[in-house]
Amino acid sequence: MIRLTGVELRRLTARRITMIGVAGVVLITAFLLFVTWREARPLSEAEQRQSQTQFEMAHRDWVQNHEANEASCRQEYDQMTGSKPPIDEMCSYPEPKASEWGKPQAVFAELIPNILQGASYFLLFAAFLIGASFVAAEFSSGAIGNWLTFEPRRMRVYASKIVAAGLWFVPLGLLITGVLTLGAYLITAQLGSTAGTDWSDVVGSLSRVVTTTAMGAVLGAVVGVLLRHTAAAIGLVMGYIVLVEGVFGSFLQQAQPWLLVRNFDAFVLHDTKYFLNKCSTDASGNYNCETIEKTLTFEHGAWYLGILTLLAVVVAGAIFQRRDVN
Amino acid sequence: MPDLAISTRGLRKTYRTRRGRTVVAVQGLDLDVPVGGVHGFLGPNGSGKTTSIRMLLGLIRADAGTMTVFDRPVPARLPEVVGRVGAIVESPKFFPAFSGRKNLELLAAAIGAPKQRVTEVLEQTSLGERGKDRFKGYSLGMKQRLAIAATLLKDPDLLIFDEPTNGLDPAGIREIRETMRGLGDQGKTVLVSSHILAEVEQVADTVSIIGHGRLLASGTVAEVIGGGTTTTVKIGVADREAATRVLTAAGLVVRADGNYLLVDGVEHPAELTKRLADQQLYVNELVPIRADLESVFLELTAGEGLA
Repeated sequence: MIRLTGVELRRLTARRITMIGVAGVVLITAFLLFVTWREARPLSEAEQRQSQTQFEMAHRDWVQNHEANEASCRQEYDQMTGSKPPIDEMCSYPEPKASEWGKPQAVFAELIPNILQGASYFLLFAAFLIGASFVAAEFSSGAIGNWLTFEPRRMRVYASKIVAAGLWFVPLGLLITGVLTLGAYLITAQLGSTAGTDWSDVVGSLSRVVTTTAMGAVLGAVVGVLLRHTAAAIGLVMGYIVLVEGVFGSFLQQAQPWLLVRNFDAFVLHDTKYFLNKCSTDASGNYNCETIEKTLTFEHGAWYLGILTLLAVVVAGAIFQRRDVN
Repeated sequence: MPDLAISTRGLRKTYRTRRGRTVVAVQGLDLDVPVGGVHGFLGPNGSGKTTSIRMLLGLIRADAGTMTVFDRPVPARLPEVVGRVGAIVESPKFFPAFSGRKNLELLAAAIGAPKQRVTEVLEQTSLGERGKDRFKGYSLGMKQRLAIAATLLKDPDLLIFDEPTNGLDPAGIREIRETMRGLGDQGKTVLVSSHILAEVEQVADTVSIIGHGRLLASGTVAEVIGGGTTTTVKIGVADREAATRVLTAAGLVVRADGNYLLVDGVEHPAELTKRLADQQLYVNELVPIRADLESVFLELTAGEGLA
């Protein structure tokens, strides 16, 4: 089993599509760092002058009109029927501050979760595609039949492929997230602030992204075994995202805790929020809707992803064990 | 009973088509392949040869029956003997983007064979210089040679070649034939499936003929040829038209062959001379044409409605 896994790792490394995928991941990583640098860099003198001018205009407008605007708003509020938001919330016109027109300081602790979340998506996608292609190519070329004449123990063959796919992406995930973290840290240390960094949080996020990357590769390999064609695997993913996550998810909001992407976010971000619209008709017959904020916990996401992956691995293994190979 | 490399009893496999129809590919096949030498596995296209081989190799599941390879029941105990079995099923299938050498190196690593063995088998199959080229750029003959090289990685005792000369040019066919004969002479067991009988007849020591997934005949080539009940006879007679009428009326199949007549399905050649002499037609020449594997094959498979 160890020997077979080693062979599969060698094969995965030797594949051209793997190298193309890695090159794509490196390019996106560089792009993310570039975007981080742009976010963090201070405004140029011209931009600062433009910002100051805009602030002065806004302040002038506020001085001239805020009392009249507030009075008009309060009048409108009195005429409203049904449930109303608090008046201070609706009719508040705070004085503009110069800092609101400037560029906020880039803070590492605030930037890094977003950067790692972005990285988690493209790493997951790349790992899934490469994992699916790695196994599906073996079926579509017919090489799996030849392989089984050398090692007929199908469970070993299957396990070696799944394990190799997952293992291969651990160092890649570590490398990419490490480069992103280090890069973002250096950029914000130079151009922003690294104050308030909780390294245990950062390491936690990083390890969760690496985990989901490996999981993506495993799921890709599993789908490759089931569908036996890379194009079919890509079609499945696209179809799922559009139909289930998009159409079904937006029509049936209660299903959100069971959607893959939502649980993925909950796992990577260590809790995530989603919103539900709750609508009802009150005693006076008015139809009102309110938005309720809900939290999907990390634990929910972890269990969901764990069970989903395990189930997929077991089902594909059982099918591979029984299915005829042509 | 001689030692058997392969034995099957009552082997059966059915497929379900997309329209839900059940197709019987192999029905109750009893096959014995003795240890050592080349065994031809003959049958028309669609007779169940490849399906039988795939079942032996554990690639597809049998619906019923038993199989043994070197006395081990397969597929249950196939892992115990797989190291002694090399197989090429239909066309050679490797990773097209990898070089021939890379493909072999992966297979060698999977079975723990040293890297040096890859170089040896590439040389053995005359692929040494092209080993670094991509598999997808190989000619059909080179692909076939690479497949043979892969089977040799294990130094197997049993080699299974399924239609190994499909698509090859005459030189390639000859090369494969010589390779098989050479392996047989080394004491290896070679099972070669084919529907090209002349090719098998030249290398096989023993043969099995199947049709509709069932065994029709089996034994040494001489036994199988001798097992035919009729023969073709070439006769010379002055009045060929009259002779043709007489023999056709007797239920024989007569064909013209230049100045001679060929009479098929003759059980006793002497009866021919008597029938013709009774009509004052005297035979001046009579030559029984030696039966070959092809005629036996056609006779057997015609009986099955396959020819």
